[in-house]
Amino acid sequence: MWDEQFETLVRSHLPFLEADEELVGDLNLREFGLDSLGVVDLLVSLEETYGVRLLDEDLKMDTFAAPLVLWATLFRLINSTT
Amino acid sequence: MSGNAITTSTASVKPSELALVFPGMSPSGYPDLAKFIMVSPRARRLREAADRVLGYPLMDKYRTAGEGYSEFSQVAFLISCFALAEWAQEELGIEPDLCSGASFGEKVAIAYAGSLSFSDAVRLTVQLARCEEAYFSLEYRDVITQSVARTPEQSLREILADMAAKGEWYDISCFVDEDFFMVSMREQSLERFNAAVRATGGIPLHVMRPPMHSSAFSALRQRIADSVLTNFRFADPRLPIVADQDGAVVDTAEGVQSLLLNSIVRPVNWPDTLRSMRERGVTKIYIAGPDALFGRVGCTTRNFDVVTVNQRMALRPKRSLRYAERKPL
Repeated sequence: MWDEQFETLVRSHLPFLEADEELVGDLNLREFGLDSLGVVDLLVSLEETYGVRLLDEDLKMDTFAAPLVLWATLFRLINSTT
Repeated sequence: MSGNAITTSTASVKPSELALVFPGMSPSGYPDLAKFIMVSPRARRLREAADRVLGYPLMDKYRTAGEGYSEFSQVAFLISCFALAEWAQEELGIEPDLCSGASFGEKVAIAYAGSLSFSDAVRLTVQLARCEEAYFSLEYRDVITQSVARTPEQSLREILADMAAKGEWYDISCFVDEDFFMVSMREQSLERFNAAVRATGGIPLHVMRPPMHSSAFSALRQRIADSVLTNFRFADPRLPIVADQDGAVVDTAEGVQSLLLNSIVRPVNWPDTLRSMRERGVTKIYIAGPDALFGRVGCTTRNFDVVTVNQRMALRPKRSLRYAERKPL
């Protein structure tokens, strides 16, 4: 499962997710308010926080479809740089 | 770009502080706008006026139109933006010195500035939508417009130079920010283009069909000049309009028509539009409408105090408005 920083960052980009609602792995991020500019902003925040850079196939909108997919991508990049 | 010059004012413009800006249109499905149009008294009054002009009940058609750029969703977007501008004027007491509209927002700006009545703006929106639909059903059927973010202009130029070297056609349709663009191209070029963008760390966002704002569409421009704009009598705008193609100030009826025609064949240049507003003393911008882009990108938020006037803000109880104006919803 993801860490607290990830949870906080993703939540901060979901205006329609209430504070007491759980961020589940398959949550449809778009439906909860992650629009195009939100994706760009979240991408930059995640890269700065985790010291990674997304490139190529990872930079598809599908990567930002749900928390679990996004975390799996980040986790792979974090481990490949350590 | 020659031959499409906008008629601009040579008179000096008084120092301005406040601009009202109408956003470009993102695909608007029924749930996005319906509640506001049904609940807001201003929007409801405008919808009733639109129904009379259209000769059919807009919301019935809009409900079944799906997400996209149908004439029904375009009119619904027009109503929403116009109603929100009226609301901001009456409830927040704003008195803009200038107005502008990005892409579709031009039509709202033209109506707001009084160059056309609201009813005529509805008629114009429908006639333009039908003309464009007819044109793109036969011409450039394989051309799309792709938006890309986090792509510096230098990187984009290198990608486009590579496309040109391969004989592939492209045109930049919108300069959104220093690293955010919309590029028109043939669909067969899209996959390779997007891969090249991703390889530089950029991210492709949306594909728009039909395409927009390209010099390739000069025949459409001519068709609109001959068969659409001739149906309307434009007045000089009461409020100067800043053109979204280059920031020129439009203050004549002829200039308004040039603005609409140039929009077909010239790219939106949002940084130049903002630069022009800044040079004219604008420090605060009210964005009236459901904005997903132009009021939120860095070149806007870094340079202006931005207040987003959207449906949620207009439907909030009055006592929370002071707070709402400070904190975009």
